[in-house]
Amino acid sequence: MFELFLAMMKEEWRVHSTMFGSLSFALYPVLIFAIACMGSFLIPLIRPLLPFGDLALVTHALFLLLGLMVGAFGLLINEVMERRFGQASTLAYAARTLPLSERVIFLNFVVKDTVYYFVLWVLPFVAGFALAAPFAGIPLATPALLLLTLSLSFLTGLSMAFFLSMVYARSKVLLAAVSVLLAGAIFTAHLGGVSLFLPLTLFRAFSPVTLAAACAVVLILAALSIALLRPEAAARAKHHREMLVPLARRLSPLPYPALAAKDCIDLLRSGSAVGQTLFSFLIPLGVIWFCLSLLDPFLPASGILLLFAALTGVVASTMYIWLTMFDSFGPYACLPLGVADVMKSKVCSFAVLQLLPAAFIALVAVCAGEAAHLLPALVLCLSVSFYGLAVTVYLTGLSPNVLLYDPRVLVLYLLALGAPLVALIVLSFMNPWYATASVVLVGVGWWVVQKGFVKWEGREVVGY
Amino acid sequence: MRCEHPPGSGDACVTAILDVRDLTKVYGDTTALDNVTLSVEEGALFGLLGPNGSGKTTMIKSLTGQVRPSGGSATVLGRDVVADPVGVRSQVGIIPEQETPPSFLTSEEYLHLVGAIRKIPDIEEQMTWWFEYLEFGEKRDVLCKDLSRGTRQKLMFAQAFLHRPVLALIDEPLINFDPIMQEKVKDFLADYVKKGNTIFISTHILEIAEEICSGFAVLHKGKLLSTGRVADVTEGGMHLGDYFLSLVRAGGHV
Ligand SMILES: Nc1ncnc2c1ncn2[C@@H]1O[C@H](COP(=O)(O)OP(=O)(O)OP(=O)(O)O)[C@@H](O)[C@H]1O
Ligand SMILES: [Mg+2]
Repeated sequence: MFELFLAMMKEEWRVHSTMFGSLSFALYPVLIFAIACMGSFLIPLIRPLLPFGDLALVTHALFLLLGLMVGAFGLLINEVMERRFGQASTLAYAARTLPLSERVIFLNFVVKDTVYYFVLWVLPFVAGFALAAPFAGIPLATPALLLLTLSLSFLTGLSMAFFLSMVYARSKVLLAAVSVLLAGAIFTAHLGGVSLFLPLTLFRAFSPVTLAAACAVVLILAALSIALLRPEAAARAKHHREMLVPLARRLSPLPYPALAAKDCIDLLRSGSAVGQTLFSFLIPLGVIWFCLSLLDPFLPASGILLLFAALTGVVASTMYIWLTMFDSFGPYACLPLGVADVMKSKVCSFAVLQLLPAAFIALVAVCAGEAAHLLPALVLCLSVSFYGLAVTVYLTGLSPNVLLYDPRVLVLYLLALGAPLVALIVLSFMNPWYATASVVLVGVGWWVVQKGFVKWEGREVVGY
Repeated sequence: MRCEHPPGSGDACVTAILDVRDLTKVYGDTTALDNVTLSVEEGALFGLLGPNGSGKTTMIKSLTGQVRPSGGSATVLGRDVVADPVGVRSQVGIIPEQETPPSFLTSEEYLHLVGAIRKIPDIEEQMTWWFEYLEFGEKRDVLCKDLSRGTRQKLMFAQAFLHRPVLALIDEPLINFDPIMQEKVKDFLADYVKKGNTIFISTHILEIAEEICSGFAVLHKGKLLSTGRVADVTEGGMHLGDYFLSLVRAGGHV
């Protein structure tokens, strides 16, 4: 069993490092370390604006989110690898031929994810903070406590993701019920002045009881998800109605209706339509909204809506990952299609998916009583999203999910996106309607996308 | 196709449907193809033979524009594979080594997708014919990822021939089929060639190559060891298998 764990760790490392070179990947923790360290040096400057408590809250919330995303992605990666490299290519699959139960394999998988991302993300972050702490007037005990509480936040997110996806695998209705219950519990606790987010409570006031409770939450969620795990393919519908032709007819205004129809079918049948919307869109945006609401007192009127719209745009641009994650160029390579053709069709499917952020922002604007600024918020969100897509397409071609782990590419991505984003946010703080200036990004994005098509058409496609 | 010789130069004009000149492909420190020169005539059932890792798959991928040669050139149906890979793929049918139809489409949807991209007008009839011929109609509404390997291979066969290409390139055509299906597919290939089309297969099953192929080439460690007509080998009373082994053993010591 321990051998399986070690082999899975090696596999995870190889999958990531072969994608973009071990050195490049090894730089990732260094990057996080550097960002955390530099960020911590700024704490004395930020303090008057944002109390230390709020900063702690945001950091813990971010690690919770990180855990959720890693968990969701970890479960998907099996499917992704199977897709890209053929069946039984990951150990989680191959191990089924060994005399080990499905639960043992899954347990190994969970532990592997935990250890792997702990070393890669949590540890470098805290180390960066610890290095800067003495200079920022923070007692050295704080980083030690932070290591504990951030790890717990991360683990809570991770086990929550496993738990929710196991519930989802059982029944969608059950997932809805559990989600409503959870949201209800959090809300009531919030009204009653009790925080259910124990790692943060622990950070604010350390006590062994809270520590035990926080650990218990993680363990219970993990135990529940292992208990809920159902051996593969128990309840899979075997026969499917032909959907490609009718869908393609409906999508006929697009340049490659059949390919767009295929993307839709992939999203529906892989379960990512629901899963991704929840884990990669609604939950992250929920956390972001929550963090932003702390900033509200410091923002100009309507500032929070526009800031949120811009960030929603960034999150929405990652929908390109949804469209590419189950796809490799393999099946297309037999057809008279170039890489650019496939990329173009993905961009079209992406455009269709943008209905989701558009509806979401509209809903948020109305609920926040900001309907008057719906238009600039929408324009800002969609322009940022399209521009983000363009940058992703240019930098990563058809494999954004793996390449965004490459620190060099990531830095380029952040720079390309960050600069115009900051400018636009400043503009829209001056006057909400200035946010409409973001349409310029659509033009720039168009140009970048075309460059991207040319760039990737000239490359040999790996992964078949 | 273009004739290599000027008209009236005396030599009989052999129409090469596939022409490879000094083709080289290097992956990192592996030379998968090493200066291979090869040509295949129209109407041939050509077998590319070689041990594991000799470069057969790399050759087929280069000929269909899926990998970019490191040196040399190749034309397929008169089109340069580097300059016009999509043009080449629009004319030929391809069955890759790893049968990878899109996981979440059903067999039927996959063939519809191919039909839409290749703009095949009689896709329904073609599809029905293939479902019947390869006997997998009852799997038409099953997701590709839930198909057995053999059925996936059947599906890949169907997708490659839907548009009735004049040239088909097949990497290991029979490896996942049961003996009955193998016979059926061999018959189909022989018949397809008789109609004037060309088929290029790669295999290391030499009995099959001897049985169905008209021309052959032997690759070993990326180098072309021999190329010619199968009949020329077998007429001397030799089996293609023995010939292959003697070549490869000798080649292995070069
Ligand atoms: N993408 C790749 N990257 C690196 N090396 C590769 C790649 N593809 C193939 N090779 C190497 O090129 C050589 C030829 O491989 P190829 O797949 O063409 O062999 P093959 O003749 O098809 O073998 P088999 O009979 O096993 O299918 C091998 O040494 C292989 O390891
Ligand atoms: Mg091969």
